[in-house]
Amino acid sequence: MNCREFEKLVLDLARDQLSDAAKREQSLVHTKICEPCRTRLAEERTLLAGMRAVIAELAMEEAPARVEEALLVAFRTQSAATASPALVSMPGRRGHWSEVRWTAVAAIILLLLSVMAIFWRSGISDKSQQKDRVQSPESSDQPGPQVTPPTLAGRQDVPKKRTHRRGSRDNSAESEVVTQFFILKEGEDLTTLENLSLVRIELPGSAINEAGTAIILEPANARVKADVVLGQDGLARAIRFVASVSDRESIERRDYGNHRTN
Amino acid sequence: MMSPGVINIMIHSDAELLQLMFIGDEQAFTALYRRHQGIVYRFALLMSGQASIAEEVTQEVFLALLRQAHLYDPSRGSLRSYLCGAARNQVLRLIARERPYLQLVEEGGEGEPVTVAQLSDGDDPLNNLTRNETIKLVRQAVLALPVRYREVIVLCDFQELSRVEAALALDCPVGTVNSRLHRGHALLLKKLRAAVKLDPKASSAQGRRCFA
Repeated sequence: MNCREFEKLVLDLARDQLSDAAKREQSLVHTKICEPCRTRLAEERTLLAGMRAVIAELAMEEAPARVEEALLVAFRTQSAATASPALVSMPGRRGHWSEVRWTAVAAIILLLLSVMAIFWRSGISDKSQQKDRVQSPESSDQPGPQVTPPTLAGRQDVPKKRTHRRGSRDNSAESEVVTQFFILKEGEDLTTLENLSLVRIELPGSAINEAGTAIILEPANARVKADVVLGQDGLARAIRFVASVSDRESIERRDYGNHRTN
Repeated sequence: MMSPGVINIMIHSDAELLQLMFIGDEQAFTALYRRHQGIVYRFALLMSGQASIAEEVTQEVFLALLRQAHLYDPSRGSLRSYLCGAARNQVLRLIARERPYLQLVEEGGEGEPVTVAQLSDGDDPLNNLTRNETIKLVRQAVLALPVRYREVIVLCDFQELSRVEAALALDCPVGTVNSRLHRGHALLLKKLRAAVKLDPKASSAQGRRCFA
């Protein structure tokens, strides 16, 4: 055995993990005739002893209890997430997730402004149709707002208009009406994505006005709610708009009044 | 500290606990966390030298497991390897983020700094040091290693993963782990020699070895 071969075995030899007995014997014989390799083995054993001291020192080192507590909060939140839209967040932690969240929110706001512009234009052009639906008895039984779905620029397969309503009229104080989800990326199939999160956002109309869009919302302090579906990468994938029943009723009253005036 | 339910569930394998976790069993998640948090925390601590980073890494690794457990493929290796790989990625990210502020080598501390006069001139570089001095010196030397050697040494020597497990965690061939381990040890000894003024005979002996 020469020194090169010895060097390949020295780590295992120092740990007594050299399973090949013949090689072990040859290595030990080599150390008797080769002082540098004998010193090398001694150094390796010393280093190993130092490492073992570190291992013993750190053996009881564990993550603080607050980490487990925070993770359990996240686990429970995730378990409950299927029932209500919420983004799982870690309490009291700096860094990655908060950065992602705020980046996502910023992106969502920009997307929302764009989609709202399209939404609003479509709503104006179809206003007369909405008024008719508001007046008819059939439409008064239909849950959901009488709005036209947004038309996404350059998109052929515009989602069919469908609205949902949570709760009943008896619980109107807590009820909401929502539009269908509108896919933000053309051709994307949400059913193929995993780990989607749903985030509820709310913007004042003034934010849209200040963004310099062609839309002027009156009153400026009116707030616009939406649910945004976030992908695993934090990017917005789909959006739906949300209105409370009181909002809807005020829309209906306003529209109905306009119709009567017309 | 542990609830009775958690104690009972500790007899389950990782795969069984993961399945239970998938269906919302909180105790299964707790058991998995308690089983593996130590190795993740200590790996991050040895890699970064900072408890705050180790804490954040541990949280992020298990949060990722919670949200993306489907990414773990048991056929590719143990959950321990998978978690160490995830911890390694998190550590590298945080080290890069905090590089301007990261103090890799602690100064001062609870004891007196190690001086050359206190050290032995004998063959054994660490023999005459106190245990605390040895620990401090070795940790400093590990932290001063380049990351590619440091991560292999931390996994194989300190966390006592097999080289196959380390290769899985680092997503590299076993041969790469072996060569980095040897090179890392050589660098580590060099740093320790420099720190304790190892016997000059030992240093010069390297040059006299027969590699023919």
